[in-house]
Amino acid sequence: MKILAFESSCDETSCAVIENGRRILSDVISSQVPIHKKFGGVVPEIASRHHIEDVLPVAEEALSQARCTWNDMDAIAVTQGPGLVGALLVGVAAAKAAAWALDKPLIAVNHMEGHIFANLLQYPDLEPPFLALVVSGGHTMLVVVRDYNTFELLGQTRDDAAGEAFDKIARVMGYPYPGGPHIDRLAGEGNPDAIHFPMAMAKEHNFDFSFSGLKSAVINYLHTADMKKQPVVKEDVAASFQKAVVDVLVTKAMAALKKTGLKTIVLAGGVAANSGLRKALTEACGEAGVRLCRPDPVLCTDNGAMIGCRAYYMAQAGDFAPMTLNADPRLPFLADQVK
Amino acid sequence: MLLAIDTSSLVLSCAAMEDDRLIAEWTVQRKLTHSEQLIPHMDALLAEAGISKKEITAVACAVGPGSFTGLRIGLATAKMAARIWQVPLIAVDTLEGLAWNMAGAEAFILPLEDAQRGNVYAALYGAFQSMWLEAPAEAAPVDEVIAAAVRHGGPVIAVGEAADMYKDKLTAAGIRLAPPQNRCCRAGSVAAAAWAKWKRGETADPMTLVPNYIRRSEAEVLWEQRHPEQK
Repeated sequence: MKILAFESSCDETSCAVIENGRRILSDVISSQVPIHKKFGGVVPEIASRHHIEDVLPVAEEALSQARCTWNDMDAIAVTQGPGLVGALLVGVAAAKAAAWALDKPLIAVNHMEGHIFANLLQYPDLEPPFLALVVSGGHTMLVVVRDYNTFELLGQTRDDAAGEAFDKIARVMGYPYPGGPHIDRLAGEGNPDAIHFPMAMAKEHNFDFSFSGLKSAVINYLHTADMKKQPVVKEDVAASFQKAVVDVLVTKAMAALKKTGLKTIVLAGGVAANSGLRKALTEACGEAGVRLCRPDPVLCTDNGAMIGCRAYYMAQAGDFAPMTLNADPRLPFLADQVK
Repeated sequence: MLLAIDTSSLVLSCAAMEDDRLIAEWTVQRKLTHSEQLIPHMDALLAEAGISKKEITAVACAVGPGSFTGLRIGLATAKMAARIWQVPLIAVDTLEGLAWNMAGAEAFILPLEDAQRGNVYAALYGAFQSMWLEAPAEAAPVDEVIAAAVRHGGPVIAVGEAADMYKDKLTAAGIRLAPPQNRCCRAGSVAAAAWAKWKRGETADPMTLVPNYIRRSEAEVLWEQRHPEQK
């Protein structure tokens, strides 16, 4: 079964052809990151304008790299949400039209489920059940993937997402969007024990996160130093902040593994590319005898391949979308809440 | 058989046309969600008219000016269909489509679409034995547009959703309004305009066609105001 998948939830236009859920025949990504840089963040209207320009050439390129034609496709998949509504709407309109024009079924995919499923593309032998740590600009979640279509939400952030804190602190420190990679680079050169920032909700015995207190503490530290005209060692600030984030993520992830008895954890989302998180989690998993899966950076960014992978398993379950499908910028992560 | 789409305003409209004959048109002015309803409406239109997708030999779309999101939904749909079916794509200016509502009226047609905060997207067309563009599309304050139309002279008839919005100002200035059935965006008129373009060989490339927004995004305008040196 070949699926053409569209992803346009934020600032990448991407299309991929996926065979039988696991084989990437093509994964074309047109990134707008350089375009939004000068505005200090993604401008929704500009993102939408680039999506409408790119969506068909990117789809054609994906088909061409996969050596396929439109009629070779068995189904069309698209990210329904969450994301920027104007950006999502371009992908949804294009995918619906393609499915309608071809008389092929349409599959509507949750973007965050797609991020988790990127691991199935990276590791051909990976199968549920496993634990997923989802860390991105909009989400921080611990999810049990019970089987291909059953998810249990163990915990999530109560305020800011981890990636959001990274980007805001980078902006205060004067780094351009996207700021996360700058913090990661600086952190590698700094002392993580130089400044004591509060660890986000580490003491509470649940799997929820909170990063707004930590974010405010770091921003206050920078502002106070600025007012007192004291020099700031940016590397140390970045390293100490990153350690506070990574510590709580790793602590809670390891506790979740212990509670569920699962022996595999997968990383998902843009922050999964953070080297500090990767290193700390690798060490903790090594000690606990747990298998750690993390996709290559290209599969951690927004991409069509992960949407096509997720869509395949939805198709296996007969989960198709009607032609009245609409984009949903706040599409919830539909999972059973675990108390 | 030509399939035409107009989602550039609150009106959702699609139509099928063969040569000089309008086969079917579905126009709904109920603030429906274009994203949800466009494909089901096209599907129903074709089914009710007994047209199979294989019979469609061209796709036309109103490409603006108008609602940015509405334009993208219509154009994304039209591009994909034209490319997949390997048929020509014809881009019709939304204001030109509106002017075709009054083709042959022996008057100048003033199509007006809402551009928000007292502004309109406007153009002026001559609708006599033939149709021509008298004044090109612009985004401007409605009072300026009305004053310019009055200066232009000749019988002037206003069409479009902004003609409804500014009905009192227009009539006070001596500009007539088209009758209600000819006032809103209609895919039948887009189809008629597209058919004329197609005969002249004016087709668009689905790989590169983008909406005619007229306006840049606010973020770009603000950025240039703050960085005049980099304009």
